[in-house]
Amino acid sequence: MSGLSLYVDQGTYLNRLHPYTKLLYVLTAILVPLIGGKKILFAVTIASSILLLIIGKTLKRAVPLIAFSFTLIIVIFLVQGLFFHKNEIPLLSLGFLVFYREGVMYAAGICLNILNMLLSFAVFVLNTPPQELVEELEKNGFSSKFGYVINSVFQIVPQMMKTKDTILDAQRSRGMETEGSLMTRIKAFLPLISPVVMSALINTRERAIALEVRGFGRKNKKTFISERQKLKGDTVITALLFSLLILAVVWRVKSCL
Amino acid sequence: MGNLFKTKLNAATIVLIPACIGINYLGKLFASLLKLPLWLDCIGTCIGACLGGPVIGGVCGAINNIIYGLTTGDNITLIYALTSFGIGIAVGVTARMGFMETLPKSLICALAAGLAAVIISTPLNVMFWGGTTGNVWGDAAFAVTQANGLPVLLGSFIDEILVDVPDKIITIIIAFFILKGLPEKIKALYDVNAEVERLD
Repeated sequence: MSGLSLYVDQGTYLNRLHPYTKLLYVLTAILVPLIGGKKILFAVTIASSILLLIIGKTLKRAVPLIAFSFTLIIVIFLVQGLFFHKNEIPLLSLGFLVFYREGVMYAAGICLNILNMLLSFAVFVLNTPPQELVEELEKNGFSSKFGYVINSVFQIVPQMMKTKDTILDAQRSRGMETEGSLMTRIKAFLPLISPVVMSALINTRERAIALEVRGFGRKNKKTFISERQKLKGDTVITALLFSLLILAVVWRVKSCL
Repeated sequence: MGNLFKTKLNAATIVLIPACIGINYLGKLFASLLKLPLWLDCIGTCIGACLGGPVIGGVCGAINNIIYGLTTGDNITLIYALTSFGIGIAVGVTARMGFMETLPKSLICALAAGLAAVIISTPLNVMFWGGTTGNVWGDAAFAVTQANGLPVLLGSFIDEILVDVPDKIITIIIAFFILKGLPEKIKALYDVNAEVERLD
């Protein structure tokens, strides 16, 4: 397993579920509040995602995934709360800054959506190895060439990261400055990146030859080394999620009529 | 025109895609390591587009964002796969038209990439973030436009232009120098018009 993936095998039920089931959960969690059109639904899906993260013992690892969005959320609240074009009713004033109700409500909608998307996706990413997803997709007729592309990224990137450390040390030992004014740092960029990039591109040639020799271009149907048994829960959960989606659509249509 | 999108789909181009995605990661990493105020996260996409053509460039960009989403858990990046796809196509097409031959010409290529990014990202920004981009300078500009009562779409558009166009210009310049230094033996691998001569 590469160091790039966020997945850690903990043997939980969520780990064993079929990747498609978890993908459908993400889809449902994102779409139901958007289709339903009520802010309270965000609270429900966000709570269920957090619950799933706790059950899957992944809550701690989910925090850094969500944390990066906080600065954005603050910016959104500032910009929309102060300057939203429909702003009328003042809500709160801090010195010369006046936050308006409409803007804050609008920002809250955006932020709930963002949090909901990030949390539900965290449930998926933290419990599914990407390789498994790619393999399942390939079994369903997804091009194996693109499957290879995705899998090999997970190998190539850690390799390049290692090369990067070597280059950084090598260039620093030659006296290259990587800190200081903006100009110095810009000047350092090309000497740092070009050796790694060059070697990566030159390696593609050898890699291509190696793949060609192993029959990469063959069009035969491939067989798979790992067989996975479908859990009973997969069918049940899939049916449940689908019915929730349909329910949301029906509810929306009804409330529009 | 058909030649613009002509693509070879052999082992060499397939292998090029992961390498380019690796380069994208690296660009982003070095940019943050050196604390540069730019993203520089599509150098690989541009290189891929110049070598393999618009289709490979677009695929590089799209898969890059998918993988980024899978490895950081940030599924909002997934939607920006559209932007990366557009950048790849724009660079690929302009490169095939001969705009990557000299440094001054490559600026046109950079503008095409920047415009593609702006046009695709702006509606996405408005839909998902209410117009902000997450870049300090761009968002400051957005706040100014909103304070002056300009429409959200226009504000977000200005926000994107300020952030994306300079970023793409630098990216293309870097890609240009890297491609210049690449041995002919590698470039020949991706030449669509190359003929394979059989000796048997």
